[in-house]
Amino acid sequence: MLSFKTRVLSFCFLLALGSCKRETHVTFGVEEKGLYEDKALKTKNKNEAVYISVLYTNLYQTPISPSQLYKTQAVIYSIGDRNVANEMVLSNYFNTQGLNIPTNSAMRADVEAFVVDSYKRFFLRYPSEGEKTWMIQYINRNDQLSVEMIYTGFAASDEYQYY
Amino acid sequence: MRRRDFITKSAALAGAGIVAPTILKTGTAFARGGNAKAEHVVLLMFAGGVRQQESVLQRYLEDSQGVAGAAGNIMPNLFNGAAPDRKIVYGTSLPGLPPGSEPIPRLLSKTIESSGMLFREVQAQSVGHYVGLNTLLTGNSGTAQGLKTRPRYPTIFEYLRRHAGFKASECWMVANGIGNSMPLLNSSDNADYGLAYGANMFAPPITFGSYGREILANGKSYNQQELAPMYDIKRFLDQSFSLGQEQFNTVRNTEEERTRIKEFIRNVFAKQSAGQIPMPPVLHESGVPGDGYNIAYAAEIMREFKPRMLAVNIGGVDSCHSNFTSYLSALHRADHAAGWLWQYIQNNIPDIKDNTIFIIAPECGRNLKPNPILDQNDWYAFDHSDANAMRVWSLMVGSNVPQMSVGGESNPIGRLTDIVPTIADIFGIYDEVMASGYIDPLAKSMFQRV
Repeated sequence: MLSFKTRVLSFCFLLALGSCKRETHVTFGVEEKGLYEDKALKTKNKNEAVYISVLYTNLYQTPISPSQLYKTQAVIYSIGDRNVANEMVLSNYFNTQGLNIPTNSAMRADVEAFVVDSYKRFFLRYPSEGEKTWMIQYINRNDQLSVEMIYTGFAASDEYQYY
Repeated sequence: MRRRDFITKSAALAGAGIVAPTILKTGTAFARGGNAKAEHVVLLMFAGGVRQQESVLQRYLEDSQGVAGAAGNIMPNLFNGAAPDRKIVYGTSLPGLPPGSEPIPRLLSKTIESSGMLFREVQAQSVGHYVGLNTLLTGNSGTAQGLKTRPRYPTIFEYLRRHAGFKASECWMVANGIGNSMPLLNSSDNADYGLAYGANMFAPPITFGSYGREILANGKSYNQQELAPMYDIKRFLDQSFSLGQEQFNTVRNTEEERTRIKEFIRNVFAKQSAGQIPMPPVLHESGVPGDGYNIAYAAEIMREFKPRMLAVNIGGVDSCHSNFTSYLSALHRADHAAGWLWQYIQNNIPDIKDNTIFIIAPECGRNLKPNPILDQNDWYAFDHSDANAMRVWSLMVGSNVPQMSVGGESNPIGRLTDIVPTIADIFGIYDEVMASGYIDPLAKSMFQRV
């Protein structure tokens, strides 16, 4: 007869033996990807508050204050043509200090990168080849074109009103 | 030969069949010209709830507060009739005299009643503000109209833009604020019309008030060379996104119109700073902008854009819910501002003074019986919820408008839904508008009522 102590030890040994398993490494083939919007899926209209918040953060890289947001929202709401209101608000922003936007010389130094960045910055997507080509050619053809003018076009565009 | 004739005629008819519906849909082929009675219409929505007794019936304190012998006309620019001679509280305050005891002198040499057409007793279609305003602008009683939503039925702006071919900058709505559903009145969300045919709109207390100055007045003024590439880029980006008409979230002007409107806004702020915005001589007593302020900016829009259709809303008289004295004062000032606007058009905008029709109508009346709220003079206030609140009047003056007084207290003639058919009649698109299927079936042009 095995002693009680031996039995317990044998049981623990068997238990320890059974509990050990070789660790298996499972991989699912996931690759790192940047996620960007598709313009075809932008079907929701930004309301005034969303539009202003996103625009202000975009241009100043800092959030808008609640009081400023409220006033701007009211003013946009008080003008029948929202494009007129948005363009006026934009021209007001471009007349202030503290904007965090590329310089004109930086844009001219690498127009393609500027165009791609602008699409990502405003539309959260890459430009199609056609869009990129047109935009690069347009910038290269117009010496007087500034970042401010291009950003105004983007910020006033229909696509920027949707998400 | 006969075969050739047949083919030629068939081709011509088929071509006409294809083209005609396109022309008829926009209406531009036939609408301009026609039997237009005037080239411009200004609709003053004399809103806020105007009690028949203190306005056209001229009973002042007799009916409302039971003060015997205190009847009289407190709207001397609109209606004929002598002013009350006792308990005057609605005027301006002079030092040493009781508050409001000096009536504002009449501006017009001849009242609008004696120059135009007065419908003395008209049936309103609702006793509420927003539905009432909808009635004035849509020609429909709008019983199912919700708040905080655009009108369910097309507005007069949409009818005019679609059937008369007016541009967006030729149609204007001037709201007296952005509260409730006010800024939504420039267009309906009707599938057959909608924002593609909507009007431009400002709410002057906001657009040109302290908020507007802070947010808009510092804007850059771009010259045409700077604007062109911005519009080019926007146009390119918009083509790529291509919104359907049903997705429009705003009224749309052309680039030229947008540039002009932005320039107008900048000029208004410049004129404000220089104190050059013409205003009615007497504004609200308390110093708040009030109805006169709104009407002054409507006049600025008239001067700059010479719109074919402008609707301006005022609403100071709604203080009657809690203060009858304030209501009387607001009614007297609204009359003053209305007279000033008509005078301004006559004296300062020569291009349109002889071809404009001015229409004035409240959106609803007020109750027969008061509520229990007393004001500083111990006078009772009035809400708007009973049958008396369905009683209103309307006035029309200007090009091709006959001078006459129509109906009376015991002989109501006309409905508030008549305003839209009347404007359609003025611009020669009456049949198209009445055939739209969206107009009150009992409505008709005020010209046809007489």
